Amino acid sequence: MNETDNNNFDDELMAAAAELATEVTPDRDLWPGIEQALPHPGRPARTVWNSTWAQAAAVLLLVGGSSGVTYLAITEDLSPLPPIAGGPTLVFEPVSGSFGSMYNLGPDYQDARRSLAATVDEELGRLTAEERNEVQKNIDVIRAAIEEINKALAAEPDNALLQKLLLSTYRDELGLMMRVDKITSAAMRRGDI
Amino acid sequence: MAALLTATAAAAGYEAVPVTAESTTEEHGWIRKAQTADSAAFGSLYRMHVDRVYGLCLRMTGNVAEAEDCTQDAFIQAWSKLNNFRGESAFSTWLHRVAVNTVLGRMRKSRREQDRIRAVSDVLPAPETIGDSGGLRDLEQAIDELPSGARHVFVLHAVYGYSHDETSDMLGIAAGTSKAQLHRARRLLAQQLKTECA
Repeated sequence: MNETDNNNFDDELMAAAAELATEVTPDRDLWPGIEQALPHPGRPARTVWNSTWAQAAAVLLLVGGSSGVTYLAITEDLSPLPPIAGGPTLVFEPVSGSFGSMYNLGPDYQDARRSLAATVDEELGRLTAEERNEVQKNIDVIRAAIEEINKALAAEPDNALLQKLLLSTYRDELGLMMRVDKITSAAMRRGDI
Repeated sequence: MAALLTATAAAAGYEAVPVTAESTTEEHGWIRKAQTADSAAFGSLYRMHVDRVYGLCLRMTGNVAEAEDCTQDAFIQAWSKLNNFRGESAFSTWLHRVAVNTVLGRMRKSRREQDRIRAVSDVLPAPETIGDSGGLRDLEQAIDELPSGARHVFVLHAVYGYSHDETSDMLGIAAGTSKAQLHRARRLLAQQLKTECA
């Protein structure tokens, strides 16, 4: 195929692309979910405001947490860490049995979280004061976000966006704790050698 | 191949909703009301633009569930930023920009691109059997299989008609990168479509 053919093909390609549908109707009505998330008179903007800030906090703490942990890894001169193995599956179990009601963390998650929190408390003792403060600060931010989202969910238990955000934030917390655990364990192994 | 690619939108059964002067005036009214926290007016704006926003989200994410979430998030974001809309561009363009930011933000966070459950080509309306109708379908499929960077640029530039400056601005990349990604997309599409034709 020569250059002219290629140019023709390109022209035809772009012409065909311009003819593709730019409008697609969703399979389901998305408006109810949107409307529910919009602030209404009597149901103040606080919900959306909170979820926005909580989401921002969750992202910030994740970035901050990652940076803190990376900082620890670098300052400890650790070898590259192996990828974290698949953590315990997060399970939300509806208390009432209907989606959108009150949600609790499943027992597997609760156990994993308790166990990790205890381990992390121990492991934090092995870090320097500066490093410990950095990690603790990130965990505190995550937990503050969880508390904030839970408050918002108490006002709006059926808000799917908040439910997802809560799940995601718990996952972030678990991920951060697992990273701390891995780093301190790796540091110990190196120290042992 | 030429016939495949030159199938028209009409042949595919796609008809864009014309934006008339009347609908624009109506839209301006809804925007003004929505800016005063009138959610009913915002609902009208939603109904006017949802198909276009959802189409963009679907083409950019390649995932139905993700596109639905992105569409909802985009409208929620639009509501919260509505007072920033000054009418310097068309509302649809402003809304597109919000949608693109939403898609990129979610994709960065979740990396769900790996988890495509349903391909775009499974849910996009099938072209009618006028002429050589397989062309657009093949092209849809081929676009869906592009790497995300090339796909985003191709969708915004080639499908939605944004300039490289607008595309790069929306995606937060340099105009040169946008051109390079378009070139890459064309090359990959050409390879794929020619292979299918052979």
